[in-house]
Amino acid sequence: MTEYLDSVRRVFSVFWRLGRKARRTKFFFLFSQLPVAVALVIRLNAMFSGRTSPTGLYLFTNIIMFFYLQMIILVLALFYGTSVVSEEVEGRTLPYLTTRPLPKSAIVLGKYAAYTGIAAGMTSLGVVLSFLLLNFDRPAAALALPTYLGVLVFGLVSYGALFTLFGSALKRSIFFGLLFSFGWENVIQYFPGSTQRLAIVHYLKSFLPAPPAGRFAFLTFRLEPTPPGLSVLILGLVTLACLALAGLVFSKKEYILED
Amino acid sequence: MTPVIAARTLAKWYGNILGLSDVSLEIEPGITGLLGPNGAGKSTFLKLLTGQIKPSIGEVTILGRRVRGDASLFSRVGFCPEQDAFYEEMTGREFVTSLLTLHRFSAAEARSRAERALAVVDLVEDGDRLIRAYSRGMRQRLKFAQAIAHDPEIIVLDEPLNGLDPLGKRKLIRLVRDFRGEGRTVIVSSHVLPEIEALTQTIILIHQGKILARGDIHDIRDLIDSHPHLVSIRCPDPRSLAAQFLADEYVLKLDFGPDGRSLLVETNNRDRFFSRLGRLIVAGAVAVEEITSPDDNLQAVFDYLVGR
Repeated sequence: MTEYLDSVRRVFSVFWRLGRKARRTKFFFLFSQLPVAVALVIRLNAMFSGRTSPTGLYLFTNIIMFFYLQMIILVLALFYGTSVVSEEVEGRTLPYLTTRPLPKSAIVLGKYAAYTGIAAGMTSLGVVLSFLLLNFDRPAAALALPTYLGVLVFGLVSYGALFTLFGSALKRSIFFGLLFSFGWENVIQYFPGSTQRLAIVHYLKSFLPAPPAGRFAFLTFRLEPTPPGLSVLILGLVTLACLALAGLVFSKKEYILED
Repeated sequence: MTPVIAARTLAKWYGNILGLSDVSLEIEPGITGLLGPNGAGKSTFLKLLTGQIKPSIGEVTILGRRVRGDASLFSRVGFCPEQDAFYEEMTGREFVTSLLTLHRFSAAEARSRAERALAVVDLVEDGDRLIRAYSRGMRQRLKFAQAIAHDPEIIVLDEPLNGLDPLGKRKLIRLVRDFRGEGRTVIVSSHVLPEIEALTQTIILIHQGKILARGDIHDIRDLIDSHPHLVSIRCPDPRSLAAQFLADEYVLKLDFGPDGRSLLVETNNRDRFFSRLGRLIVAGAVAVEEITSPDDNLQAVFDYLVGR
């Protein structure tokens, strides 16, 4: 077990370094900071227009969190998660990894951890900045920040694991990932009864405080939240199952590199 | 001698396409050349050997252990893939060091081994440049460096001389030959006969997924030399040149090019023909502008060997 974890750690260290240098990271960094720009615009507008605006926490919960929860973490998890395996196959660099004395599943886990860490870092920075922009005059609101950060990081971990499985098992993983993210997840969560529980986002939203009523409330609208303990358990199981399957598929599947 | 590598009734299909068929062989320490035209099945064999693909039938073992599913074996195997693919956003030094890290070396050990490997392939000074800025030859040398950096007993090189300049080729050939002296096992594939000839005497001829012949390169050379050979000579007066060869029994056929400035000679003894031609040129009896060999490629030789 120690040897296995050491393999994961070594793969993590290589791809943590490489992932931060990658060109796409610069692009995704800018993308993940878009809500900061939105928060800045809202703040400046409130300052100069002189109109009374909803509270910073209200705007953060209903607009910024909406962006992060239902768009940014999905896109980051999709591109980083699927690339764990697919970038090695498409870039034909796979033999450099598979001809090392490492369990194949450790390669998947190490890369997944590195890329999820990078995505979580970018997201956290954006969330903290936009939160501060909207709430700097209300320090007490900062108590809510760890919950929002935790939800987003948990989202990246769960979606990242699912998309890592997509990347290891499917040829057109981005396409299927987009269908899942912006089709399934965005629709199923609004179904009444137990159907909504088939979406990951349902469990993520279950951690959030009930949104106050208002004209933006429909964005983070949730029907029947699952208790937080059960949500943690289900998201944890989904993550573990997806990672175990991704490791298994990667170990067994034959990847033919295009010449 | 104990075989280091053994393949038993190995076969591989890609859907309906045959990659390799019924290959049984044993490879012993030293350098073994895998020779065959493009698409012959060399890379398929090497991919099976390094566990990248699964055999459809049969099995391949290294040091008596099955390759697929035994990752620990790769601490003793170095692999230089054919494809020109890298983590382009790394520097050469980072690339070799990172891959060494995956071999469980400490950071300091990985760095020092990477330096040694880069020194072997003359990339120390360029080690801090991004790989994407490397020339084709440098990239080829870097691939070789990562294959030898962990000091493996078995080195598998898939077309390692592709893209190298003549000097680079000579250096790599010398390096590979040094490995033989150290008792290692090297398998090197190529579609260029003189390259393999410069590396080793033990070759495996592979064609259309099958092993055609195996053994000493000189025996294969003899077979190849008895293959009627075409030589095209560009000269101002091909008819008088043809007259010089009419009486020679090793010349089977003489033909003239449509431009009236070339002679096509078919011979069954290349050495005697070239020796005579050389003497004629030196004596000033003929003027020659260019000599080419239209069928001097491996495919022609293989076609001949398989009786097509």
